[in-house]
Amino acid sequence: MFTSAGFAKTWQYIQLFKEGLICTLSLSALTVIFGFIFALILALMRMSKIKPLSWFATCYVELFRATPMLVQLFIVYYVVFAKASLPNFKLFGFIRFERFFPGVVALSMNSGAYLSEIIRAGIQSIDHGQTEASRSLGLSSRQTLFDIVLPQAIKNILPAIANEFVTIIKESSICYTIGVQEIMYAVASIKGATYRIAEPLLIATAVYFCLTFPTSKIIAYFERRMSRGFKR
Amino acid sequence: MASNAELIKVTGLCKHFYNGDLKALDGVDYSINKGDVVVVIGPSGSGKSTFLRCLNLLEVPTSGEVVFKGVDITKKYYTDKNGNKVRLNIDEHRRKMGMVFQHFNLFPHMTVLANMTLAPIKVKKMDKETAEKKARKLLERVGLADRADAYPIQLSGGQKQRVAIVRALMMEPEVMLFDEPTSALDPEMVGEVLEVIRELAQSGMTMVIVTHEMGFAKEVGKKIVFMADGKIVETGSPQEIFDNPKSPRLQDFLRKVL
Repeated sequence: MFTSAGFAKTWQYIQLFKEGLICTLSLSALTVIFGFIFALILALMRMSKIKPLSWFATCYVELFRATPMLVQLFIVYYVVFAKASLPNFKLFGFIRFERFFPGVVALSMNSGAYLSEIIRAGIQSIDHGQTEASRSLGLSSRQTLFDIVLPQAIKNILPAIANEFVTIIKESSICYTIGVQEIMYAVASIKGATYRIAEPLLIATAVYFCLTFPTSKIIAYFERRMSRGFKR
Repeated sequence: MASNAELIKVTGLCKHFYNGDLKALDGVDYSINKGDVVVVIGPSGSGKSTFLRCLNLLEVPTSGEVVFKGVDITKKYYTDKNGNKVRLNIDEHRRKMGMVFQHFNLFPHMTVLANMTLAPIKVKKMDKETAEKKARKLLERVGLADRADAYPIQLSGGQKQRVAIVRALMMEPEVMLFDEPTSALDPEMVGEVLEVIRELAQSGMTMVIVTHEMGFAKEVGKKIVFMADGKIVETGSPQEIFDNPKSPRLQDFLRKVL
């Protein structure tokens, strides 16, 4: 299964893994940022008193949670961006933007649906008395949301957000199917060049583990630190 | 403004829940003058808290008017001094009404000082230094000068409620609304909170207090309002209400609580 000759061959292409790592990291980081902003908007829309907004957000969330990620990715890449001529420059000198960008969009749209439910639960878990106290002091509903409710809600949902971040790192591997040069794409390339599959997969496993395990630990550490001041 | 000037006038106030199945307020008329200390008493479910919460529109009344300083705050528009139609911004009016809640509702993610200075800085655009100076002065007044940097979780119930009171005072409100301020407190902490409210009453602050502390109502209240079933049943001075109750409903209530 694993042979030292196989590892030696794979090692010749280690540069591909380095590039894959950079690509996976940028893909995940951008997805988390865009996904979170998008999720926040979705959550607010879903809780909005304006019916069409909440109706739209509800449909969106249900649709994206009930269909496979791969289907969503293909629709975004092959249908939505089919006609759009994206600029074909290369990020960091190797990541093909016209493939990378649809990947980010599809992942963000997917994780936005999941994160919005987490955020909504977080906001609804905050005692209504907090809002009343804030409004009674004359703060606007917007100020109340951003200064009083969200800071507490985000603290409460941090473990769930961290979980989602880890999930995104792993799910980003699906983007190799549209030719985004992340870690699984490196595995596929090496397989093509060396006819070895076990060794590249083992390395990919190790790289993913090294990404996700410390990430969840670091966030858990910050979570403990943040809750020190004001446990309720 | 003259000391007996009308500050809040409530007419025909109704608040219905469950499509009218529950009439928490069923036609309440009352006016509060500047300098009044109004204590609202009555059995549970009589609508006292709903009445108080309608005064600053935390509860939106089903019908009726709440006129605060000449402006009906239940309407979307009002006419200003120059006769222009202006869109009502409820936040502007709430700033002038301080509110203290049964469960304190301090912001747990902020220190005492930050709790107090948030609204003055955000809403009144006061600079941080001035706001903090003012906050420390108020904390000193209620004996909590050394707790400025504590988080709410580190305070006792009585301390939390004192902070909640001075937090509301930071906005220099024209009226203070107290919604059962001592009901969630351990008995030994009730005194320290009542002391602060008493002092505030003596300073001439206009106040509306919903409470179950009859002794305190009698001592501090200048006007007592007795409510039952969403209506005001009887009003009068503490002597009239406590020593010479007229309605059978009030007589019955007093027999049970005193």
